Amino acid sequence: MFSFEVGSLLNIAFVLGAGLVVSIMMIWVERRFLGFFSDRLGPNRVGPFGLFQVIADAVKMLTKEDWIPPFSDKFTFVVAPMILPIVMLLSLAVIPFGPGVGVMDLNIGLLWIFAMAGLASYSTMLGGLASNNKFALLGSLRGAGQMISYEVFMGISILGIVILSDSFSLREIVEAQRDGWFVIPQFFGFIVFMVAGMAESHRWPFDLPEGEAEIISGYNTEYSGMKFGLFMIGEYIGMVVMSALIPVLFFGGWLAPFGLEFGNEIFSGLFWMGAKTTFFLLFFVLVRAALVRPRYDQLMSYGWLVMLPLSLVNLLITGAVVLYQAG
Amino acid sequence: MSILFYASALVAVLSTIMVITRVNVVHALLYFIVSLLAVAVIFYTLGAPMAAALEVIVYAGAIMVMFLFVMMMLNLGQRTIDQERVWLSPNIWIGPSILAAILLVELLLGLITTDATIAHTMVEAKEIGIALFGPYVLAVELASMLLLAGLVGAFHLARK
Amino acid sequence: MSTASTSLQQSMAETPAVIAELYLKFGESAFVRQHTAEGMPTLWLGREKLLEVLKFLRDDYRPRYEMLLDVTAIDERLRVHRGGQPESDFTVVYQLISYSGNCDIRLKVALKEPDLKVPTIISLWPAANWHERECWDMFGVVFDGHPNLSRIYTPPTWVGHPLRKDHPARATEMEPYRLDDDIVDTEQEAMKFKPEEWGLERKSDTSEFMFLNFGPNHPAAHGVIRFALQLDGEYVLDVVPDVGYHHRGAEKMGERQTWHTYIPYTDRIDYLGGVMNNLPYVMAVEKMAGIEVPERVKVIRVMLAEFFRICSHLLFFGTWAVDLGQLSPLFYAFVDREKAFNIIESITGGRMHPSWFRIGGVAQDLPNGWEVRVREFVDMFPKKLLEYNKMVMANTVIKQRTIGVGKMNTQDAYDWGMTGPALRATGLEWDYRKNRPYSGYENFEFEVPIAVNGDCYDRAAVRVEEMRQSCEIIRQCLENMPSGPYKSDHHLTTPPLKEDSKQDIETLINHFLSVSWGPVMEPSEVSMAIEATKGINSYYLINDGGSGSYRTRIRTPSFIHIQAIPFLSRGLMLADFTAVVATTDFVMADVDK
Repeated sequence: MFSFEVGSLLNIAFVLGAGLVVSIMMIWVERRFLGFFSDRLGPNRVGPFGLFQVIADAVKMLTKEDWIPPFSDKFTFVVAPMILPIVMLLSLAVIPFGPGVGVMDLNIGLLWIFAMAGLASYSTMLGGLASNNKFALLGSLRGAGQMISYEVFMGISILGIVILSDSFSLREIVEAQRDGWFVIPQFFGFIVFMVAGMAESHRWPFDLPEGEAEIISGYNTEYSGMKFGLFMIGEYIGMVVMSALIPVLFFGGWLAPFGLEFGNEIFSGLFWMGAKTTFFLLFFVLVRAALVRPRYDQLMSYGWLVMLPLSLVNLLITGAVVLYQAG
Repeated sequence: MSILFYASALVAVLSTIMVITRVNVVHALLYFIVSLLAVAVIFYTLGAPMAAALEVIVYAGAIMVMFLFVMMMLNLGQRTIDQERVWLSPNIWIGPSILAAILLVELLLGLITTDATIAHTMVEAKEIGIALFGPYVLAVELASMLLLAGLVGAFHLARK
Repeated sequence: MSTASTSLQQSMAETPAVIAELYLKFGESAFVRQHTAEGMPTLWLGREKLLEVLKFLRDDYRPRYEMLLDVTAIDERLRVHRGGQPESDFTVVYQLISYSGNCDIRLKVALKEPDLKVPTIISLWPAANWHERECWDMFGVVFDGHPNLSRIYTPPTWVGHPLRKDHPARATEMEPYRLDDDIVDTEQEAMKFKPEEWGLERKSDTSEFMFLNFGPNHPAAHGVIRFALQLDGEYVLDVVPDVGYHHRGAEKMGERQTWHTYIPYTDRIDYLGGVMNNLPYVMAVEKMAGIEVPERVKVIRVMLAEFFRICSHLLFFGTWAVDLGQLSPLFYAFVDREKAFNIIESITGGRMHPSWFRIGGVAQDLPNGWEVRVREFVDMFPKKLLEYNKMVMANTVIKQRTIGVGKMNTQDAYDWGMTGPALRATGLEWDYRKNRPYSGYENFEFEVPIAVNGDCYDRAAVRVEEMRQSCEIIRQCLENMPSGPYKSDHHLTTPPLKEDSKQDIETLINHFLSVSWGPVMEPSEVSMAIEATKGINSYYLINDGGSGSYRTRIRTPSFIHIQAIPFLSRGLMLADFTAVVATTDFVMADVDK
């Protein structure tokens, strides 16, 4: 039971703990970095470097009045915010953090993540619908359209990898990159996946379902206290999942670059996986500070007119090359 | 794994009953999603993980979201709830359910007599692919033609 | 002899061309001419001739009077010194401006109780709509043919017309206010948006519309304003702006304050404009009093006004970027704004509302070493502007979101009374500072930035360029600051020079009176306009010989610009609507007065 292999209790505890702690700390990291990017200090009062700000925030959220609007559909209103963190944590389960580190090794790991991402859109949809608020309704309509659309390109963009690695299993995909990271043969796939991933987790600049300049806070306008907190935590776990998935799919996962392996295989793996994930987490923060939110129709036409053809062409070329090489 | 199978089968049946009996259409849909998820688990226990994943992605994910989408647009309120309540009076549903129960019994009898057990040959993604583009390639092409027609139609409608 | 009476004599001596032309066209008997302190051609006429004359001025007269600058009313019932003006209980005042001829005209219509009716002029200028609603709300003047003559500032349940002389000005003059549940319910019900009142359909053949209350509390509404949006999906079909949440009765306050004590109220009209709001007011009073301010005062005023223009435009710039979904520029803009505010603070002691200008001067002389900080700013700021250009104005997504969105041409701008950067963005090179220099602007070298398309992008680009020009003006102030007194040596300067009180008992008494109730001047009328941060801001003061104003009319640009938002945003998407709202650049305190 205490052996350190995929699916052992220790492993599950490690992944769950690390995933949650990183997601929650991301709230602080993001605020701090956004602060630096915009000539401010960011939260720096609670604890050393403001590290305990997250705890203060959590206490604040938990002690806030838990208000369920009388005009809402109460059952759905309560259920909606739970869905997001649950499915996001479930998708964390299949991500290989190192050789032998991970909750489960599913032979359809990639599809599992897509299934979970598909379910995540319910949080947005139901939250907006149950609030019985016009802004929330607009937000959830935007969310539904955006997530369904970008799921399509996201799916197609990684089929190239499936062809190259001959598997849906994330561990096998990592192992298949021993000879070279997939970002080189699958560069366009990487671009599409990256953009679609941001749109899926509706991170800035694709936060149209909650674009505050237009629809106040979109689908979560009526939410307060810990129910809102669940949406927020779910979003940050989603960000961690995306940032861990990009290295796994395109940057060799736990494999050390240029043979820079050191010490124990597991520790080296965890280090490199952690470093790569951190890089993409910070990249997400930078993107938030730098980019502009597009208009909804621009987002959609960009998706269907640029991303879709790009990912299809990428898939076609990858398939052709693989077939040619196979003779 | 038979415990998992029967548990998820029970969830599927119960949630489907809830789908039929809910007056609030949003709640009904929520139960429907649960039912689909339960069916996905059944697929998994039967050794078809690919089908399970696709069930979740396509049905629970995309199609049900579209349903919700449509419902949001239709603005169903108290009026529909009242209407549903009328339709749920016993004299309307008792006849069809007796007939359905007879069918269920027949089905169960049939299942027991052939001595079906929970299969344990895993159907891998690769096999599905080979099957789809091997013996069933004509069906796949026909289906894709149909979908293409649907796509073109949707595009045309959206342009208007 | 004071300059006011000199200019009065001048204006009496000659007949302006427009008046001669009107006499020729409609007969001299149709009009009564009035002479005002600022020398603007002012004519009284009967209401039956009004539409005809306005139409003539707008279309046929050369130069055309393109824009309706202001419509307001005066309750004349308690006015003592009318100086040969026609009999009137309520006077409706129309002010037109001609950009091609660079001149103004003011027309007045006398109304006798109980027949307070004039024809509406919406057919000539759509911008008259809100002006007329305001006149109805504040004075009870009825505009015949107005499509929806409803209250605009006060709530629909209000009783009486606040700017009438018999309406109480203070809460203590009224019954104690109470708000029980019943009253809350009636008020709420009255606030409910009813599309039918505004001629909006609830559904079309194909779809049912959503009516969305965008505000009064909305992150992108820039203050307490409500836009009732008629939406088809995410497309904005029509907008009904609802203002008045911020109404404080600044014009009414003007009637109970002395000339001097009203200055702090002006700061709070456009609360981003700071002392720039003082400028038209003190200049108007100075014109009435005949005070000529020293050169140093003029340059100090210009410098501070331009600092506030930069501050206001920076706030616009940052919030505009946030409304489009770019997070960081706001913070950069606020850092620079803070630097400007620090300078303003070290000069005036205040930050946003220093109330620092005085009748006949400014409150204090510039502090020692002011040059150092100002020089730092003018050296730093243009570089920052280049950075902003790269970060925001050159950004592809920003361009996609704003170019061609919310377009208006110059004629539309005339119709809707758009002034300031919005008007210049349509391609008209007209700036009060350049075309009618005041406070010594003629001595500065600067350019008037214009754009071509009049869309959201152009409005923002014009403002960014204006910041650069303002910085140039500040640099010229810095390099050419004249020496001399910071206050005019005139007996009506308020507060007067301390030295004057130290001569004998007579001067001490005068000083005491002057400090207590400020200047008391000959009865007259005057209006003074400036190029404020948002557009043309003008003060029209009527002096009945008291220690304060008989009627204070403040023409604020934001109020009129809001009216154009429906015109600009019909058919756009919700996200474009916020872009339009942001580039209209209004301040609710400026809208609601």
